[in-house]
Amino acid sequence: MLTSELYGLTLAATGLLSILFILLFYLLVRKAFSIRERNQIEIEKKQYEEPIFTFLVDGQLKRGVTPSTFTQKKAVEELLAKFAGLLEGEQEKKRIFELAQIHLSDFYRIRLKSRKWSDRMNALFHIEDFKIRSLEGNIISLFEKKKITRDEAIHVLRILAAFQSKEIYSLLLDRFNSLSTYEYRNILTRLDENHFDQFVLGFNKCGIPMQSAILDVMGTERKLKYVSFIESVFRAYSGEIKIRALKTLGEIGYVKDIDLYLPLCKSAKWEERMMAAKLIGVLRERKGIPDLKALLHDSNWWVRSQAGQSIKSFSDGEKVLQSILETSSDTFARDMAWEWLHKGD
Amino acid sequence: MDDLQWMEIVTYFGWFIAVYMVVVIAFYTVILVISSFQLRREYQLDRTRTYEDYTNEIYTKPVSIIVPAYNEEAGIVQSVRSLLSINYPVYEIVVVNDGSKDNTVKKVIEQYDMKEIQKVVRRQVDSKPIKKIYQSQILPNLFLIDKENGGKADALNAGLNFSHYPYFCSLDGDSVLESDAFLKVMKPIIDSNEDVIASGGSVRIANGCDIRNGNILKIGLSDKPIVIMQIIEYLRAFLMGRIGLSRHNLLLIISGAFGVFSKYWVVEAGGYKTDTVGEDMELVVRLHSLLKERGLKKKIVYVPDPVCWTEVPEDFTFLRKQRRRWHRGLFESLWTHRKMLFNPKYGAIGFISFPYFWIVEFFGPIVELAGYLFIILCLFLGGIYIEFAILIFLLSLFYGSLFSMAAVLLEEWSLTKYPKVSDIIKLFLYSLTETLWYRPLTVLWRCEGIWQMIKGDKSWGEMKRKGVSQ
Repeated sequence: MLTSELYGLTLAATGLLSILFILLFYLLVRKAFSIRERNQIEIEKKQYEEPIFTFLVDGQLKRGVTPSTFTQKKAVEELLAKFAGLLEGEQEKKRIFELAQIHLSDFYRIRLKSRKWSDRMNALFHIEDFKIRSLEGNIISLFEKKKITRDEAIHVLRILAAFQSKEIYSLLLDRFNSLSTYEYRNILTRLDENHFDQFVLGFNKCGIPMQSAILDVMGTERKLKYVSFIESVFRAYSGEIKIRALKTLGEIGYVKDIDLYLPLCKSAKWEERMMAAKLIGVLRERKGIPDLKALLHDSNWWVRSQAGQSIKSFSDGEKVLQSILETSSDTFARDMAWEWLHKGD
Repeated sequence: MDDLQWMEIVTYFGWFIAVYMVVVIAFYTVILVISSFQLRREYQLDRTRTYEDYTNEIYTKPVSIIVPAYNEEAGIVQSVRSLLSINYPVYEIVVVNDGSKDNTVKKVIEQYDMKEIQKVVRRQVDSKPIKKIYQSQILPNLFLIDKENGGKADALNAGLNFSHYPYFCSLDGDSVLESDAFLKVMKPIIDSNEDVIASGGSVRIANGCDIRNGNILKIGLSDKPIVIMQIIEYLRAFLMGRIGLSRHNLLLIISGAFGVFSKYWVVEAGGYKTDTVGEDMELVVRLHSLLKERGLKKKIVYVPDPVCWTEVPEDFTFLRKQRRRWHRGLFESLWTHRKMLFNPKYGAIGFISFPYFWIVEFFGPIVELAGYLFIILCLFLGGIYIEFAILIFLLSLFYGSLFSMAAVLLEEWSLTKYPKVSDIIKLFLYSLTETLWYRPLTVLWRCEGIWQMIKGDKSWGEMKRKGVSQ
């Protein structure tokens, strides 16, 4: 009664089993090959290591470094990547990029067109590391493909930023206007001052994530020339951007007039109270000490913690903390005072 | 006449089992296909490079690592040491001693020069009273909480209350993390602008690997068949199941061994539940229900890269206890949140994840066990029933062995973590035998778990550790 079902199932099972065995065979052969390939690369790395190192250090190009096969190119790539991490000197770096330009740019040009996503991604990583500017056009043409993955697009933008490409401004503002703050930040930090200032000028046209990223980058760069711009952003905007601007001011550690910011200690938003505490601390503004004492009794942990840190940054800060520890009736305030008294000494 | 009816019942029963298996096989096939597409893309990607940028990212979120410890004097110092070499910019380690009866506290205090500190801990979620809090004199980011015994979930809650950072992860004492583990699991959180509120990494088996001072030196295979079978099982569960489910935000498990959570949302959900054996799964289910109830677009994801290596039982007694416990934990989570099943409010979770876990994961073992018994019965009945027996056997071959073999191949196709050709052959051939011995055994144990639950037996065996690190 079940013969047809059984027949079908047995057929399916044997069929699948044989497919699995064929796949296994394929994968094993592939693995064996890749192990052999790896060994070959290791051998070639040993051969190239000495001449490449000599070139990087003395600039004397010996014969013998003419990679033509896949494994040879891989060996050169891995050695250069290794030396790029080890050698710090400007001259050495330049020579690394020079070698990469000579021996690897064609290799990457082909790999950028590979159908495998991981091939293209790895090529992008190395192009960025070795600063192969001659491939800028090839990278931009990746955007012409119908299906470019998000990871690739972000990476291309990063490289273009690092190369200070002219395209980057319009690309970010028009085509890629919905990235995350983190992604924008990652791209914008690679720009030099001139290119970055273009984005500052276009601040109003950007979306919130990019505005946040611009402010964050200013915070890490700590350039005083942006202070008046950030202060104007702080006054003109509300919500998240306002808080970000405040945070950036705290990181730069300078404002023209602290009195404008002291009222924030009583803001309804804890982020603003925290940032106000931070500003008082980095500016060592003595008239803010009473505010800091009050903020050490705040209901929010982050605000208390920041207040504690800011108090500690004053020369007599430890005395202030000690008196709170002894006199306050608020256990959380005492706890925070204790924590900062015992931190990092 | 009576006889005929009997036979009809047997036939219907046989068909029921067969149809059930076909449905499940279809479901697995779909998931296998989704997973392989997703994994394939990353074949040969230079992974360390992908994470490198994040190390320098000063905005990367700090993480509190909570290590609950109960009678772990043998391994606790090793565990902490392995955490100290983690590659992540800002983190703190909070060891929570859950009223151990051995020298766990003393060991940690002596090794890391811990000193008692006075600290008020804000009770955001419930936990048993804390006795003392210590901070290391040499490593200011290492803390030890000594509290009254209340179980693992309670210890995690205490750690949660104490922790300072916006993200936390819980880690079992017997697990070893890869040094880039946090970079890997935090990546989706950072990339998504914090829309991802929990992120889990895949867990692999440490038995057979060469581990020194909490670092994996060489990946290898154990010689014990029971361990190899578990390796295959983990491969299958993680590579196939979780990637396929993660893609559509249907993930109900972040393994207890390794996952990072947003503290805000866990506190919002009420922390870990103390009266279940599967507190990790229960929490994830509760987070899902919270998100759906509030209509938020937050996500829980899973990273296929192996990030955590854990020790598994090497003998039948402990494996049996573990499986019984897991099955009970699964039931408790599903039962607590039974209202989510087929509830339109919970969307795909209610219509795909929950039915899947109920039908395949929970009732699966019962049907499978019935299938095995049915095969034996049919062999006795003889005649046309022999054919039935063969049918069910073939189906369970699909169900067990074929999918496991496919999972082994999928691993070699995409992640290629095992270095030797012989490793793959071994894994493949062992998975072929799964239907014959390992699968029936685990099915039996899981059914025992259900039986224990019905009897109201509350005890569960702890696993004996021999320690993975040297």
